[in-house]
Amino acid sequence: MTVEQVWRTEAPHVLAALTRRYGDFGDCEDAVQEALLAAAAQWPREGMPHDPRAWLITVAQRRLIDQVRSESARRRREERYAADALDGAAPVGVDDSLEVLLLCAHPALTKASQVALILRAASGLTTAQIAAGFLVPEATMAARITRAKKTLAGAGSRFPAPAADLSARVGAVRHALALLHTEGHVRSSGEELSDAGFSGEAIRLARSLWRAVPADPENAGLLALLLLTHARGPARTDAHGDLVPLEAQDRSRWRRDLIAEGVAILEAVLPVGPVGEFQLQAAIAAVHDEAASWAATDWPQIAELYRMLDLIAPGEAVTIGRAVAVARTEGPAAGLALLDPLAGSRNHRVAATRGHLLAELGRTAQARVALEQAARTTPSIPEQRYLNRLLHEMA
Amino acid sequence: MKYVILIHSNPQPWGHPTGDFVAEQRDLPAETREQLNADFESVLEEMSARGELIGGEALADPASARLFRWHDGERLATDGPYAEGKEHLAGFFLIDVESPERAEEITRNFGAPGETIELRPAMWPGGDAD
Repeated sequence: MTVEQVWRTEAPHVLAALTRRYGDFGDCEDAVQEALLAAAAQWPREGMPHDPRAWLITVAQRRLIDQVRSESARRRREERYAADALDGAAPVGVDDSLEVLLLCAHPALTKASQVALILRAASGLTTAQIAAGFLVPEATMAARITRAKKTLAGAGSRFPAPAADLSARVGAVRHALALLHTEGHVRSSGEELSDAGFSGEAIRLARSLWRAVPADPENAGLLALLLLTHARGPARTDAHGDLVPLEAQDRSRWRRDLIAEGVAILEAVLPVGPVGEFQLQAAIAAVHDEAASWAATDWPQIAELYRMLDLIAPGEAVTIGRAVAVARTEGPAAGLALLDPLAGSRNHRVAATRGHLLAELGRTAQARVALEQAARTTPSIPEQRYLNRLLHEMA
Repeated sequence: MKYVILIHSNPQPWGHPTGDFVAEQRDLPAETREQLNADFESVLEEMSARGELIGGEALADPASARLFRWHDGERLATDGPYAEGKEHLAGFFLIDVESPERAEEITRNFGAPGETIELRPAMWPGGDAD
């Protein structure tokens, strides 16, 4: 482990220890961030302390106390903190890094705020690193994190999260980590795709979520899904940074190690049940990853998995996936029919899928209209380049 | 998702805030003008606090622009304005928001008589293939 990996791994534990003792998540988070910055300055130069966690807790605690002392209402707050400290630590039953994740995925926060807070509090990234990943200025990201912490304080969220809604809160963590993983491979461009970045961080956190709550099979499902999707990363763009659709990817570049790990986790958990949306999505990813080619894919199985997914977690992306699979098993016309209910959608992926299926049916003029609409409305530069290239080749 | 909010206006004389120099707004009762200004200030403050505002600038008189074109195989620079139309680009804001709905909610507060506010999505460099 590099020194940076060490302090980032320790970050949530340090934050949990402080929050449990002093109560105020926002103040504690600021103090931990300062301790991490101190570690970044000192460790590479002076070497790693013998007990990194104790070092970070000591430094963070000192910063927290300085912070409290410097405020005008210091006496009142010191008294409150002293009283909190006397209450003693809450009973420990859950991994403390899980508690940090649960707090970050608080229902009072928007999805985007949850993700930003997770990156800072659970991943130990600096505001500057998070801002760079989201392609926004540091001041903008700092405002988001400050606001998220204020919202948490306003929602009276305490530490640890009440056990009553634990399973709902774990579900929110899963969705936030899935979003973080998508942001990672969707937001970054070209060469950055080779860097694990946010996607790698999402996998690391999904792994710790799975270890902390192994009894929930959806946690294994999420980890498997992220591994199986991440495995295709190296083939997702070509040498020019242009997007390569799954159909045309060079499958020899897929990460076999990640596929093997994802499949093993999934196969162990599927018989346990109940089967939720992340396990189904992971199962779909596994079928793709194990196919020798697009044509050799087990499409009937994918169509069935999408049918099941449509029952428990319906949405436009599921309908699109199902339409593509049904087009392979029952023909493009059957796939197209599944897209009919989405006729009024402004989603560019609906238009792109319609375009592909119409082209297969030889309805070239209609295919062009749909693909042109998709190219006009996608916000992604590589996707637009891909669709324009396709239209050019059709001409 | 990122958007640019473009303020198309024609203040006479050119000046900022544009509302003070647009005939349609000068003619409004003082109370209404104050309300428009207050709405605008409060949405700016809210955007900063929420971490949605990335940046923005008020632009100088279009007549002060320099235009660069290709002419007879060479680059040729001339004086502005770029367009003779009624409205000019007077300023812009770059925002990053959660949803198209939020972008519209923000932009609605920029509207004022005699001006057109354009909300344009920005493209981003990434994409997902599957």
